[in-house]
Amino acid sequence: MTTVAPRRFAGWFALVGCTALVWLAPSWHDGATGLLRLLQILATGPGNDIEAVLFWDGTLPRLSVGLMTGAALGLSGALMQQLTGNLLASPMTLGTSSGAWLAMTCGAVWAPALLASHPDWLALGGAAGATLLLGLLTGLRRLASLQLVLAGMALNILLGALASAIALLNDRYAVGIFVWGAGDLAQYDWHWASWLAPRLILPLFVLPLVARPLALLRLGQEAAAGRGLALAPTLAAVLLLSLWLTACAVAAVGLIGFVSVLAPILARRGGARSLLAQWLASALLGALLLVLADGLAVGVGHWLADSVPSGAAAALIGAPALVWLLWRARGLPDAPVEAVVVPSLARAMLLWSAFAALSLLSITVARAPDGWHLVWPDAAIAWLRWPRLLAATAAGAGLAVAGVILQRLLRNPLASPDMLGVSAGATLALIVWSAVSGVAVQQGGWLPALAGSGLALAVLIAIGRRLAWSPVALALVGLSLSALLDGIVQFILARGSLDVIAVLAWLAGSTYRVGSGAALALAIGVAACLAVAFAARRALSLLSLGDNVAVGRGLRVARARAGFLLLSALLSGLVTSLLGPVAFVGILAPHLATRLGARGAGAQLIGAAVVGICLMLLADMLGRTVLWPAQLPVGLCAALLSGGLLASALALKRSVP
Amino acid sequence: MKRTLLLLLWLATAIPAHAAPPSRIIALGWIAAEQLLELGVKPLAVVDRDDYRRWVVRPALPAGVLDAGSRSEPNLELLVGLRPDLMVTDGTLDDLVPRLERIAPVLNLHPFSNRHDNASSARALYLQLAQGLGREAYARQRLLALDARLGQLRARLSTRFPQGVPPVCVIRVGSPTVVWLYGDNSMPQAATRALGLRPGCPGATGAWGVMQRRSVDLAALGDGIVLAIAPLEPAGRLWQSPLWRAMPFVRAGRFASVRSTWTYGGVFSLQYLAEAMVEGIEQLKSPAAGGLP
Repeated sequence: MTTVAPRRFAGWFALVGCTALVWLAPSWHDGATGLLRLLQILATGPGNDIEAVLFWDGTLPRLSVGLMTGAALGLSGALMQQLTGNLLASPMTLGTSSGAWLAMTCGAVWAPALLASHPDWLALGGAAGATLLLGLLTGLRRLASLQLVLAGMALNILLGALASAIALLNDRYAVGIFVWGAGDLAQYDWHWASWLAPRLILPLFVLPLVARPLALLRLGQEAAAGRGLALAPTLAAVLLLSLWLTACAVAAVGLIGFVSVLAPILARRGGARSLLAQWLASALLGALLLVLADGLAVGVGHWLADSVPSGAAAALIGAPALVWLLWRARGLPDAPVEAVVVPSLARAMLLWSAFAALSLLSITVARAPDGWHLVWPDAAIAWLRWPRLLAATAAGAGLAVAGVILQRLLRNPLASPDMLGVSAGATLALIVWSAVSGVAVQQGGWLPALAGSGLALAVLIAIGRRLAWSPVALALVGLSLSALLDGIVQFILARGSLDVIAVLAWLAGSTYRVGSGAALALAIGVAACLAVAFAARRALSLLSLGDNVAVGRGLRVARARAGFLLLSALLSGLVTSLLGPVAFVGILAPHLATRLGARGAGAQLIGAAVVGICLMLLADMLGRTVLWPAQLPVGLCAALLSGGLLASALALKRSVP
Repeated sequence: MKRTLLLLLWLATAIPAHAAPPSRIIALGWIAAEQLLELGVKPLAVVDRDDYRRWVVRPALPAGVLDAGSRSEPNLELLVGLRPDLMVTDGTLDDLVPRLERIAPVLNLHPFSNRHDNASSARALYLQLAQGLGREAYARQRLLALDARLGQLRARLSTRFPQGVPPVCVIRVGSPTVVWLYGDNSMPQAATRALGLRPGCPGATGAWGVMQRRSVDLAALGDGIVLAIAPLEPAGRLWQSPLWRAMPFVRAGRFASVRSTWTYGGVFSLQYLAEAMVEGIEQLKSPAAGGLP
């Protein structure tokens, strides 16, 4: 204890020092007179001087809102962790803040009056809805388990995709929301500060009431119930409190990730043991972290003469911090391997043909000014249609194959290019490359994409090795990478340059501008990768059985693994460079193929590719028809379709014991 | 540019032979729609039709015009089905032109660029399109009326404020914290000059003449005139905030909102902008140059 305490104080001191430094730096150029002036304004009020008013009604409320929302997020995360007994539970990892954000986006587009009058209830509704959905997916019994966090992260992606779909379709309204979506803390009066204060302080009086039950709950749900504790009301009260804190923060400043994950974990690492210590330390750390990130955002914004969203700055700091914490972590839970029920051959054939027929039928669905039609595309339409269909289906097959490889290689049922952040790495590399070189993001090509996906995989492997390939650690790295990507994208969007629409369309997976040459190249590339993987299917099945088995059968494990990783990075890079990051297809297709009877590595590779193709055909049909004559990007439709299928599969599996 | 000229040449030579100018015309851009309407031609379809009615407003889009999909991704399969004689784009779909040309002849206008003066280019493009559609005489007549109207508005301002008015900066709000300023080579600034006023927005900007700033940066505009184009709702409570009331131009009584007018339009948008701006200036508490009240 004596050796830990000074270090702990040093940590706090450094954090407070950095924060103060960042905030005071702008007024330093005037030296002592600047500070004196600040004190004078604080003492006498702003008066009429515009500089003084900017400080009084801009800087001060910004600082207050930052401190309050940071504390709320930190406390909300701590409560969520204590409630579930799960170190990784937080509004960010469980998808609750995404739910609140989705509700706010819907409000901005369809119910602006409600959004203006009751943003807190709207956000709370969204957060509660997301939590209910999560409960449906995992069940109350599994609060402490890995499934909770993994399902939560998938939900996070799904709700985020929905929100961006809505924003994309209403780009005029959304321009303001995008800046705010990254969590813009900029203030121009005391409205939000005085709005937040009572809403955050009053609920704190509930805390003493739930302290004892929560302390008992830490002993385990059974032990708590054994001591005569009625679980349901306590759980409900704590959950509601946590949701409320998140909802208020999202309503006031928009989506800010990481603070709610990092603050409680840091508080524990800093030695906060008792409930009270964890609450206090998490709130304080959350406040300091957010204000520090925001101070940096303001500083960089001044320097660039541009606005940097605070949420983007929080992600830029938070993502590496979370990866570092994972690097230092020990003993994360492992995912249970679940037995898959394989259908009989006849049934499998029936399912396959039904699926394929449905997908082919989807090609014939079309809309025209006089209504719906079922027609096979004639020559006048076909030349427009085939490049986009070829690109979409090749992308679906490519992601599915990458998913099979990653799931077998990492022996992780949730591995896929999107969940692991491999697609995010490729996207990030392409966006940065486009910003640096001035090339349009669609024309960036597969090389920067491959560099990005390869780098993401390298980080994953380094962390995976250390943590015995813990699925949750890998998924968290993926989440960090995706959030980092979001931060950078939000920053670029907030700059308001004119190619925003193009970047958004590419991010949403639009095949609209894919030319025949690019589509053919993608198809050939994916086919070649699939052929290589199929040829090496024996090595892939050996690797999925475990290293010892593989070595025993004479496989050069290190070489085979490196080869397969390169192959999956190449597939993700190829697909991403043309279609942007497409979520869920890579995770769903391998599972669906297995469910439909594809057991061996070779069969699963081919089966998953076929499933990927069919999913994309259906998605393309939805994109063409749902909002006709406007069109939805196929990547977005595929993500919503596969995400929905995945969620319903999880819920169904739960209801069948 | 070369392709545009060739097409115009083709139109000029082809039309007399076929007697009838193209009639099934699709506007794949709002400026294209605007120019066609100002030539008295009703387009068959317009991209983002409903948003046009909300944002561009004038010239009004007649009933019965179809929606052709979004501005960035027009519905190509729908275009094939509509069998147009001509499609007019406005430089934002350059990469699609080869594909569009397989559907119907394309006239690709490039109204906005930082290599030319956008306002005079708008005039030239309007005349070119008129020539292509065989309506040159009508177009010249409309342009004369436009110049007369602008002169009339300029005279109205100078008789009402003989001592002149301070520099004018036109802005649009995106959110409480984000504003766009219309600087050099923007249509609002061209309208400002056409009214004989001095532009007050800071200088260098891109092809469209617009720059994004934080709303607090508006303090740097001093006590010149600031006109914000409706809709004002995106800025929410900013208008009532103490920070806004402390802005030098607000304190000096030189801020007004003007009705919704498209700021990235064609040549006649100069008239709509000028009319809206004059209405705005006449509402000001203290529009005249010179000392504060």
